[in-house]
Amino acid sequence: MAELLLDPKIRLWVFLPIVVITFLVGIVRHYVSIILSSQKKIELLQVQDSQVMIRARLLRENGKYLPRQSFAMRRHWFNNEDTGYFKVQKRTSNAQNPMTDPGMMTDMLKGNVTNVLPMIVIGGWINWMFSGFLTTKVPFPLTLRFKPMLQRGVELAYLDASWVSSASWYFLNVFGLRTIYALVLGENNAADQSKMMQEQMSGAAMAMPPDPKAAFKAQWEALEITEHRWALANVENDLLIKND
Amino acid sequence: MSVPLKKENVPEPIAYSEAALRNNANVLEYCRTSMSALSGSTAGVLGLTALNGFAFYMFSVVILWVMFMIKAGPNWQKYYVSRQSLLTHGFLGGLCTYVLFWTFIYGMVHVY
Repeated sequence: MAELLLDPKIRLWVFLPIVVITFLVGIVRHYVSIILSSQKKIELLQVQDSQVMIRARLLRENGKYLPRQSFAMRRHWFNNEDTGYFKVQKRTSNAQNPMTDPGMMTDMLKGNVTNVLPMIVIGGWINWMFSGFLTTKVPFPLTLRFKPMLQRGVELAYLDASWVSSASWYFLNVFGLRTIYALVLGENNAADQSKMMQEQMSGAAMAMPPDPKAAFKAQWEALEITEHRWALANVENDLLIKND
Repeated sequence: MSVPLKKENVPEPIAYSEAALRNNANVLEYCRTSMSALSGSTAGVLGLTALNGFAFYMFSVVILWVMFMIKAGPNWQKYYVSRQSLLTHGFLGGLCTYVLFWTFIYGMVHVY
């Protein structure tokens, strides 16, 4: 395959600017989404529900360290047919349609504005501004299948597949710079999707299942079948053995 | 008379701190990204092509792993659950960064 000779000016005026633009747009998007993001309103009832769920789970997992009577007492508080929390509390399943809730609607819109719109706008702009340039060559051979992916905007049938056009170089940057954003902007940034995971981990109280009724029922069932096994039954023996 | 039971029978359960685990994973992720970017740039400047470049990435991953092991010392179990996950965690994301930087610097230096 014959080597192509590219004008060094392409490097200065196309290749480099695309990298810089992509990177800076990512950073701007991060800060814009910070500005636009609204603090989620949490209802008292929701927090209460989720805390109860957490307590029930803890009781199931660590109940073995409680004396039998204490365990039964706590389970009674949750599960009693007449007075148990899971039985008394009647929650309506509020699996609400997001379209009817204006707050949710704006949130979705904001998500779109900060995520999809820049992608389309900047991508389109780069496509228009820098169209038709071959910018670089990936330093490894590729098969022909990669041609439409890497040479968008340059339709040359006999060009080696490892040449990259400007539009494709932009997309390569979009996908490759994600980890760099994590490095530059800190872990919890808006430029990548791991944020969702973070929220679930840290704010367990906010991540309430949409349908508390079903969740309560599940917890009730799980507690009902939990068997109390007293973990400290042989504690004296164990301690004495350790001391030998 | 207490009969000495076999102690090995009852392995001590290990309690992990969720926050600390996550923090360590983050540190690992940062190091992985930095290492990928640096080694990618190096490969680009050196003008490595094809398999050489990927071999260089493997090399850098192993180097990072060895550096982690040296840093953590003999009691690495205090910091990480398993050694294998240190080696493989974030491998593909790092590869993505590596290829980007490799292509970028290679293009800057060698193509034009």
